[in-house]
Amino acid sequence: MRVARGTLLRNLAGSIGIVCTVAGLAVGLPLLDEALPATRPVDPGPYAVGGGVTVTPPPGSRVDVTLTRPGETRGTAVFLVGSVRYVIVVTPFTGSLDSAAERLRRKITAVRGHELTGKEFPVTTATGLSGLQGAYAAPGRGGRYLVFRGGEVAVEVTVAGADPQLRAALAAIETSTGTLTLSGAA
Amino acid sequence: MTATVPRSARTAPVHPTPAWARAEKSLLLPAFWVVLVLTALGAVRVGLFVKASFAAYPVATLTAIVLFALYAVPFWFFVAALDYLEREPPLLLATAFAWGGLVATSISIRGNAAVHNLLAKVTSPGLAADWGSALAGPTVEEIAKALGILAIVLVARAQVNSVLDGVVYGSLVGLGFQVVEDVIYAVNAVAIAGRGDQVTPVVATFLLRGFLAGLWSHTLFGALAGAGIGYLAVRTDRSWFSRIGVAVLSVLGAMVIHFVWNSPLLTLGGGAGIFVDLFWKGVPPLLLILLLVRGVRHREADYYIAQLASLGDRRIATADELRILAHGHLRASARRYAHGRAGVRGRRAVRRLQHAQARLAVELSRGAPPPSTPAPAPVGGAGVAVGVAHPPPADVAPVPAGGLSRAPILGGPTAVRWRDRVLVERARLLALGHPEATAPPARDGTIRRWLAGIALFFAAMLAVGMALLALGAS
Repeated sequence: MRVARGTLLRNLAGSIGIVCTVAGLAVGLPLLDEALPATRPVDPGPYAVGGGVTVTPPPGSRVDVTLTRPGETRGTAVFLVGSVRYVIVVTPFTGSLDSAAERLRRKITAVRGHELTGKEFPVTTATGLSGLQGAYAAPGRGGRYLVFRGGEVAVEVTVAGADPQLRAALAAIETSTGTLTLSGAA
Repeated sequence: MTATVPRSARTAPVHPTPAWARAEKSLLLPAFWVVLVLTALGAVRVGLFVKASFAAYPVATLTAIVLFALYAVPFWFFVAALDYLEREPPLLLATAFAWGGLVATSISIRGNAAVHNLLAKVTSPGLAADWGSALAGPTVEEIAKALGILAIVLVARAQVNSVLDGVVYGSLVGLGFQVVEDVIYAVNAVAIAGRGDQVTPVVATFLLRGFLAGLWSHTLFGALAGAGIGYLAVRTDRSWFSRIGVAVLSVLGAMVIHFVWNSPLLTLGGGAGIFVDLFWKGVPPLLLILLLVRGVRHREADYYIAQLASLGDRRIATADELRILAHGHLRASARRYAHGRAGVRGRRAVRRLQHAQARLAVELSRGAPPPSTPAPAPVGGAGVAVGVAHPPPADVAPVPAGGLSRAPILGGPTAVRWRDRVLVERARLLALGHPEATAPPARDGTIRRWLAGIALFFAAMLAVGMALLALGAS
């Protein structure tokens, strides 16, 4: 059982072509992606998160454009305040504030090593959105979470970073969360 | 005298698998090992995802896998049956499916994310959110799937005999991709819902992506790309420029359809709008590709039917049986007709006869030059013998004068076996008093049946949509 030399060479060339294209798509594109910075400075003023929600990010923060996804009915914004991650997620939601908080708590504790700490307490933004705030911890990191309900959406906010950096950034972030606005919300 | 040139030879020639072709030879080809290694790597990656999903959401993950595996079964049979006359080897069909489900998805997970990110970095997150799927999906996914069809051609060139074979392999690559992608979407929906190990998001994903969006998804795109790559493989009478051009155009066509499907263009969105989107974006390409598949099927059927016709032996196939064998709906009609006249045994005998006739046609093609005259066999003609002539059973039609023993011999031992099988089934039909596997003439009411089918289809879609609304899918 033999294969003609010409057939073998053509087959080898085709195989190399397939491997190169696979490598280009699965390795080359991600390498090109990594070569470009993922964050950029945020313009001052309100930032549209999605689902009709806007927020004024902390001064000097940067937005991670690869994780930020604004949309008509939902959206995600990921800011970096120094090394602290400040994430706002807007999703369509018609349940109560308590059920929205339960959902967020479940998402947080679903991550290995994350656990809730302390008690939840009510918060209200400058624009009148009412919500709940709590804290969580992960190995070497601390976190805060907030959840708001308004209109047809739930707004989930998580803030995470190493303890010293988190403490330093928290005031600016709390000021920022106070600016969360839902267009059309009472 | 163009009438003597078969339609298949003019526009879609068939290159039968040569009698000397051996599957084991593929082991000597670099492409075989490339496919093996890439499939193994893809299996590891998809396996890791499934393992992590099981750890987090065991019930939802199992439900997603079971639902979409069941969903794949009718698609698989439909696609595999497209080429009734010349069935593809099951191992190659499985390879195509595995490439789509394991390799193409693994490539696409990384490639899509990179294209999304690059778009966001170069333009804005808003543009990436709106157009990311429209740009990443068609480019990365269609190329990853097309590579699978090319790999099949490289591994088993002798098995890609016609444009229709390209369609079959392309569809199965697309189906594998569609099924695994849908499982991933279903598990992600569970995670996004944030309500723990719930099956509701899985069911909603199944209804949305399986039914409302499933008919005009990756299987369809794969079929189009496969047609072009099949053309590249079989149209050896054309220039390389022409063959590569058609293959590239077909992959680009799949990309364009995928782009329109994913893009926010012409999208009403939400509620009833999603139905309009589905039909507006989905039905035209579905019809276009179904027409294309119909054309290449008929052309391939012409070729194989001509093989049987060239025997000129009405015990092998009558003129009416040749007509019926070329069309799936007529074959089914003939089986129903036999059921009505001779019960279950009649139906089975017709099914076996049709299968044996198809296999015989393929075996004849492997051992003979293409026939120059595709005309149906004359009734009672002397004909051409298949393999070594055996005396026919006593209860079948009489041997024509000067028949088998003086005719040229075609085909090898396998052809002889299938010829004998045909004769056995013919004898069985004669004994049942239903000598010919024919179908009754088409009755009136075809349009009515079509309209009823379309109405049923829309009603089913509406029911799925209502179920989705009831599940609270957004």
